[in-house]
Amino acid sequence: MIRYVLRRILYAIPIAFGVSVVCFSLVYIAPGDPLQTVMPPDATAETIAIVKHAYGFDKPLPVQFLIWLGRVVTGDFGMSIATRRPVFLEVSEALANTALLAMFAVPLAFFTGYVMGAVAGSFAGRWVDRVVTGAAVVGVSLPNYWLGIVLVIVFAVEYMLLPATGMGPNGSTAFNLLQWSNVQFLILPVVTLAMIPIGILARTTRAAVAEVRNQDFVQTLRAKGLSEWAVTRHVLKNAMPQVLAVMGLQFGYLLGGSILVETVFTWPGSGFLLSKAIINRDVPVLQGTILALSLVFVATNFVVDLLQSPIDPRIRRA
Amino acid sequence: MTDYSSVIPAKARIQGDRAPAAAPCSSQGQALDPRFRGGDDVKERHTKPVYDEQALPATRVRGYWQSVFYRLQHDPVTLFFAAIVVLIVLAAVCAPLIAPFDPYKESIVGRLKPFGWRGHPLGTDELGRDMLSRLIYGGRVSLLMGVVPVLVASLIGGMLGVVGGFLGGRANTAIMRTMDVFYAFPSVLLAVAIAGAMGGGMTNGMLALTLVFVPPMCRVAETATTQIRALGFIEAARASGARTTTIIRYHVLGNVLGPVFIYASSLVSVSILLASGLSFLGLGVRPPVPDWGLMLSTLRQSIYVVPFVCALPGFAIFITSICCNLVSDGLRAAMDVRM
Amino acid sequence: MKVAKPALLRSVFALALGAGISLAGAAAQAGGTLVVGMTAGDLPITTGNPDQGFEGYRFVGYNLYDSLALWDLSKSAADKASEIKPGLAAEWHVDEGNDKRWIFKLRTGVKWHDGCDFTAADVVWNFTHSKDPQAPEFDPGQLAQATVYLANAVHASKIDEHTVAFDTTVPDSLFPYELSYWLLISPCRAKEVKYNWTEYALRPSGTGPYRFDSAAPHQRMELVPNRDYWDKARVPKQDRLVLVPMPEASTRTAALLAGQVNWIEAPSPDAIDRLKSAGMQIVTNPYPHNWTYQLNFVNGPFTDKRVRQAANYALSRADMKELLNGLMLEGNSTLPPSTPYYGHPKIYEYDPSKAKQLLTAARCLPCKVTFAISTSGSGQMQPLPMNELVKSQMDAAGFEVKLEPMDWNALIAVAREGVDKHPQYNAINVSRQTQDPFNALIRHVWTPQWAPKGANWGHYSNPEMDKLITAIFAEFDTQKRLKLLTQLNESMNEEAVMIFVAHDVNPRALSPKVHGFVQAQSWFQDLTPVSVEP
Repeated sequence: MIRYVLRRILYAIPIAFGVSVVCFSLVYIAPGDPLQTVMPPDATAETIAIVKHAYGFDKPLPVQFLIWLGRVVTGDFGMSIATRRPVFLEVSEALANTALLAMFAVPLAFFTGYVMGAVAGSFAGRWVDRVVTGAAVVGVSLPNYWLGIVLVIVFAVEYMLLPATGMGPNGSTAFNLLQWSNVQFLILPVVTLAMIPIGILARTTRAAVAEVRNQDFVQTLRAKGLSEWAVTRHVLKNAMPQVLAVMGLQFGYLLGGSILVETVFTWPGSGFLLSKAIINRDVPVLQGTILALSLVFVATNFVVDLLQSPIDPRIRRA
Repeated sequence: MTDYSSVIPAKARIQGDRAPAAAPCSSQGQALDPRFRGGDDVKERHTKPVYDEQALPATRVRGYWQSVFYRLQHDPVTLFFAAIVVLIVLAAVCAPLIAPFDPYKESIVGRLKPFGWRGHPLGTDELGRDMLSRLIYGGRVSLLMGVVPVLVASLIGGMLGVVGGFLGGRANTAIMRTMDVFYAFPSVLLAVAIAGAMGGGMTNGMLALTLVFVPPMCRVAETATTQIRALGFIEAARASGARTTTIIRYHVLGNVLGPVFIYASSLVSVSILLASGLSFLGLGVRPPVPDWGLMLSTLRQSIYVVPFVCALPGFAIFITSICCNLVSDGLRAAMDVRM
Repeated sequence: MKVAKPALLRSVFALALGAGISLAGAAAQAGGTLVVGMTAGDLPITTGNPDQGFEGYRFVGYNLYDSLALWDLSKSAADKASEIKPGLAAEWHVDEGNDKRWIFKLRTGVKWHDGCDFTAADVVWNFTHSKDPQAPEFDPGQLAQATVYLANAVHASKIDEHTVAFDTTVPDSLFPYELSYWLLISPCRAKEVKYNWTEYALRPSGTGPYRFDSAAPHQRMELVPNRDYWDKARVPKQDRLVLVPMPEASTRTAALLAGQVNWIEAPSPDAIDRLKSAGMQIVTNPYPHNWTYQLNFVNGPFTDKRVRQAANYALSRADMKELLNGLMLEGNSTLPPSTPYYGHPKIYEYDPSKAKQLLTAARCLPCKVTFAISTSGSGQMQPLPMNELVKSQMDAAGFEVKLEPMDWNALIAVAREGVDKHPQYNAINVSRQTQDPFNALIRHVWTPQWAPKGANWGHYSNPEMDKLITAIFAEFDTQKRLKLLTQLNESMNEEAVMIFVAHDVNPRALSPKVHGFVQAQSWFQDLTPVSVEP
């Protein structure tokens, strides 16, 4: 077991290096100068040349990469050109805000999706199955940012029940989970974000439940005289591992892929930080954010993998 | 958006289907597998004495692809949605013939008009252009950005996966680890980062999406190829003296095509959603080209004037996406493949 | 089991509640919290001259800080284009013996937010802070923001405790205008944080009417009134000013309608009716803004004056106004008509047949041109629909316009680099501020301002105009200078140095609970008289 863990860690290191190369080069594929955008419109090209030298952007690319990598490994992700704050600080704050959304969205998706999938799988082939599976497919096929816009119009503008945008009346630094005035800002983004995971988890659960039901031990349980409800409980328990695995992966996915929802709700999370960095060509923030998000994703996958193999030996790959 | 590494499709039993469980074989592969020979075998059985253990009732055993088509034929839901998809594609292809107005013609007087105003069945947008025509033409771009990346990614990823699975060993590890680096990014993040870095635009968007889909396609192809190797067909064929190209053609490709095709079909709806997301963020096609995601973004400001008109592009994306999803599900059930 | 509540108790309760509410209301009436939804993508920086364009100056720059000369944004100035008035400098004049030297007499009795006194030494310190890369107090971030306004200043020296002298490169009668954009920060606080600008940003100190209270990065900034402000008429009436960046127009509109903010900048024209029906106040006023195309004078069709004039004749500005739901002024010149030096420029009325005639005479029919435009941006109004309209109108008059959209930052880069690096564009669509004479007129046509040195993107050069400009710089009498500036504007119109289209009217939407705001004809606004009822 230890050897397995060590092997996986060792294997993750070249992946992380590859990820850092991709992150770094992404920014430089772009046409145009990285610094142009953070300067005011009236600044002349000569001014920019001076500032460029001050930030070290005039060195050759491989040198810049090594310098950047050296700093990153020690935890120094550089400074944002736009706000002059350490990138590490920006990214960790933004990630924490997105994690807050994901922390609510994933359990919501899990419970809703699991119940839906369980119902569908238990009545496989009947109309209940069709209806529920249809609902799940709707969840997966909906452009979730469109749903977000519609929800804002209905709940915030027309009926003024919930706020339209932002993260709390005092911003993220003073966000208090125990106050309704803060929590109400969470509701619409979490629901929007949960749409797709609900669909995925419902389908996964349905597949898992249907598969488990077809196994021999279920027949045996019935032959033993257990009630249908008790049999169902056994089936659901056996279907859990697969679904939990998918749920874990969804958490990692939401942390990195929330940009569209965060744009609609102006939620100051990692996706929003990324989209701003792209528009502003804020190079250090761009590199730092992509790197941090992908590493978090890798780490989440790794943890899910690790947790899975003791539970379900079939999943472990050679 | 779907997370590919964990998709485990249902090995669901279709009602009324009595055909034997399909093994992942191509029709050419069937020639070598005695269980599936039709034709001659059946004739032989008819002439054997009744007490012979091979005297089964005279059922005509279907080939693999024939069973697929049989199942599809008897699945009205999938057929219905497939028809819708065909309709959408036809509408996009025949756009110049069926669009009532020029999608680029503006009218300052006729801005943001509701359904049915002066012959515009679905109203007009923020520049007075006909919504129906723009939706139809927009379908071209959206479908293109949905299908082309998936096609190209299937080709590239499929090839890489087959090569890797076939060669095995170090080469396989090298290819798969490179793919894993890109797997480390959530798909939305990677698509946005690449498209954003390259400055947006339709080709960059398609490039970004292709790069996003190559790793999962590669993994699917590699898994399927490795399974074939494990089943021993390849060794047997080698032992009987077949050339590498023949092996690849008859054994590997035939069996890989199934899973790859299924997976690709499920990716189409994801690609459409991702592409519209990119356009929504301003990283896809540039105005004034009609595209559903872009239309959604530009109409967002006018949502107080004609809310239903502004919601239309979202509907278009949704309907196309859901139909592709359901057709893909139906195909998977018909082909009954476990990945 | 129902418990009967005595009627007396109930009415007492109601009375008390009512009294409590009205009492609370009376207390809050004096102030309230003003929550502003800005178009900026992020919070403006607080280390001195702000970023995020002029919106940064409007909400953070001129609130935390002052400059030597301030813009008059008061009620009395609201019907005229805003002019500069004494700020931290009570008076200024050019040295009689040396017209390259300006003497500024500073206001006395002014204190920084941190308590230190404001003296001449502080002004000199700020000069090296903005301009001298070798000085320990130099801030490279400010280099980009402040330097452009100090381009003509060579040296600052202290004459006595309350007098400073500036030496300029050439005689510059417009120097006080340039200094009006240069904001002064406290050397006391800067030294206290040992020139750590990241830390300074969290505890900025200026002389302005507001003090910095707190900020949640990227989300909101809170400012509170400076009760010791030197101009007693401009101590803020509200209790708190909250700034929230909201770059999307639809988000701003939704936030205002939902009651999350009570003031939004630049609502989208299509949302105006909805906002009005919800009871919001829509305020507009012309201001020094132009929305034009700057032309390529090096190669291409616009080198010919007839083609430039044809482009101006081709436009129906009335149609453009309708497109924007009435939210614009028709643009017939670089300047809005309420500018003092507008004069009587040649107006290009809508006449597509005349345009075609001119194109035929210039032998450019159809005349193929490429415009670089943006998809959004501060001051760009509704760039995509407006450009589509311009294209369709020009196409109908004999042009063949190709639009090349790019994002705002990319377009600014094109503008900054100049026509030499981008010869494929015949025109760029960059909106400009026209608040002071240099920025309004001179920088677009003066030869020394050829990009990348300045804003003369297309390298326009006209010896007569250059002579006129030199005369303007050397003319220290305000009335005489006004005549020269008027001459310059009229000659720019005659030459059709740009394609004139529109002037924005600076729309903003306020909740009905916001009182006391008077919109000045300026890019900057005075928020101090505003109060918000509960």
